[in-house]
Amino acid sequence: MDMSYYPVNYPVLKIQDKATEPVLARVIYSRPQKTGRLIFGDLIEYGKVWRMGANEATEIDFYKNVRIGGKKISKGRYTLYAIVTPETWTIIINKDVDIWGAFKYDPQKDVLRVGVPTEKIGNVVEALAMVFEKTDKGCNLIIAWDNIKVSLPISLK
Amino acid sequence: MIKYIHIFFLAAVFFFSCGNHDEKKTDSNGPTKKTDTPSSNTKQINPYADVDISPMDMSYFPVDYPKLKMADSIKTSPVMRLIYSRPHKQGRVIFGKLLKYGESWRLGANEASEIEFFKNVTIQDKKIPVGRYVIYCIPYENKWTIILNSNIYTWGLKIDSTKDLMKFDIPAKKAPANFEYLTMVFVKTGSGAELVIAWDDTEARLPINF
Repeated sequence: MDMSYYPVNYPVLKIQDKATEPVLARVIYSRPQKTGRLIFGDLIEYGKVWRMGANEATEIDFYKNVRIGGKKISKGRYTLYAIVTPETWTIIINKDVDIWGAFKYDPQKDVLRVGVPTEKIGNVVEALAMVFEKTDKGCNLIIAWDNIKVSLPISLK
Repeated sequence: MIKYIHIFFLAAVFFFSCGNHDEKKTDSNGPTKKTDTPSSNTKQINPYADVDISPMDMSYFPVDYPKLKMADSIKTSPVMRLIYSRPHKQGRVIFGKLLKYGESWRLGANEASEIEFFKNVTIQDKKIPVGRYVIYCIPYENKWTIILNSNIYTWGLKIDSTKDLMKFDIPAKKAPANFEYLTMVFVKTGSGAELVIAWDDTEARLPINF
């Protein structure tokens, strides 16, 4: 399991008194490893809901209201899922928290679905990685595994 | 030979840990910081986020709540959840040596350990309101002081004790087994649950009532 904050490395910045903006978001996820397997289209079937993690469902916490895909997301704790295809991932933000994986995924509890394009990356990412990066409007949540990455734009207004 | 390789490795790790980019994950930069996680075997290079040597974990009460929820065998809300990183002993003597008696210990590694109460609870007759707290400890030979602190979303190496909210003394005892990894789990009791904290040859239990 791991956690990523926006601002990036917020807890370290905080103890160094270097944080220049307040904490906005945090993602908590378990990190499956590729271990030689073909991931997208094989281990993770195209068109099916994927838990984007392992063990406890992947969780995102927003400490302020944000906008994603033009829609307002109220501050709070949510579960993240994705439906992957070769060209696009549909990122799902769902309000059913404290759950295990995607085995009981309930689309009625979706708050948002948003499509983001996939991008091929040069190096293979062995362990699923989720990190934030700063943008002009807020941040992107980058999700990378194997040779694919997507960026979910999150805006502050 | 192994010793030399080890020294070489430590030197290499030290070299790499001098860069800021490495700071979050190796947690061992600079002599002023305590480390309970030697940066020994970061085999994997991940361009986004290296995998921690001290893996993060979470514990719920009711125990295994997410699985129970998945199996539709629970209808109530969870009472509490703890998120912590898990340093391992790796042959070291932990209590009284790696962790000095009377000095604060972050009860984890990396990000500060966090306990969240989803309902109001009582510990040693003190009411704890719903919310998130940093949890840490001051170990002594026969007792531990467990502290709840309001300075959340921080890194465990520098606890701001001016934000301490409550302190609880609990006995520390010989554990029934030897724990390689720091282990924190909830165990049901007649009046709520205990947070069991075990590492190396020692364990302590914090009773939580609700």
